[in-house]
Amino acid sequence: MKKWLVFLLPLLAFGVLLIFLFQGLFSDPREHKSSLLEQPMPAFVLPDLMQPEREYTQDVFAGKVTLLNVWGVWCITCAIELPYLTQLQQEGKHIVGLYYDQDIDPDFGLKTVARVQQEVTQKLAQLGNPYAYNIFDVKRNLSLDLGVTGAPETFLIDQQGHIRLHHIGDLNPRVWRNKFEPVYQSLMGQPE
Amino acid sequence: MKLLTIFSLLILFAGGVSATEDKYQFDTEAQQNLFFELSKELRCPKCQNQNLADSDAMIAADLKRKVHDLVKEGQSKEQVIAYMKQRYGDFVYYQPPVNSMTIWLWLLPALFVLSGLLWLLMNRKNTNADVKLDSAQQKKVDELLERDE
Repeated sequence: MKKWLVFLLPLLAFGVLLIFLFQGLFSDPREHKSSLLEQPMPAFVLPDLMQPEREYTQDVFAGKVTLLNVWGVWCITCAIELPYLTQLQQEGKHIVGLYYDQDIDPDFGLKTVARVQQEVTQKLAQLGNPYAYNIFDVKRNLSLDLGVTGAPETFLIDQQGHIRLHHIGDLNPRVWRNKFEPVYQSLMGQPE
Repeated sequence: MKLLTIFSLLILFAGGVSATEDKYQFDTEAQQNLFFELSKELRCPKCQNQNLADSDAMIAADLKRKVHDLVKEGQSKEQVIAYMKQRYGDFVYYQPPVNSMTIWLWLLPALFVLSGLLWLLMNRKNTNADVKLDSAQQKKVDELLERDE
């Protein structure tokens, strides 16, 4: 009686460990819940990327369901998702860019704002322009408040200006279907 | 030769000392120490197995700059950690909080040791049991023991 227990217990423990580690193979270590979900957008005052004299605050998101896309011309994955974002925009989604730049930063590169604007115009002409406008996150302070770890990342913001989704990585048809569409449809009040 | 070794060692250590970051300026030494402490204990959200001090990612530079600003404002260690956790989650700090999920990190090893002790205690009874020998067996044991001597 004791003997089979001695053999069975380690086997059982091994089995549990096996299941635990096996699951680990398919989990994404970058997937962790944003602590800002259901929270209002953090307060900010930031200029428009193209017309720096224009300023935006957290109130610009009121009244519309917005996709806030964090991007930059230096980011390769952003270039890959631009055509798909353009398609979403043509379907009627309101997409706003949060321009996340490193080249202005003396730590990473030296570029003038005019040069960045030129590169942005060029990039968008080439791959499609999904953005209603671009908020220029000059010192990346808003990105820091939003818990952004890099680009691309996308937030879904509801009519009250509350953050409903935070996606790290590119937005593609699969991510849209599985993650964004159900929430987006329920916000638009037209369940499919 | 010996002198040369000492000399080269000295140069080696001098290099290490001058390599500390002087990019961030502080009013007091306590603030500077707090900054170094925090940049070791806060985790880079992009490159997950590095702390802020080790990482060269842009986000790590941004977070370090923020830690510098907050520390300079006179915020305490707890306040800076709370600020980061509010934005990047519990994940950003290497010391996990104790909750219903993470309690197993402490409970499991304790349970493991406890079950081992229990197993030991249970098995000790068996070995302590008296061995009963009949007279023929006893005689054989005595014989064997004598032959050995």
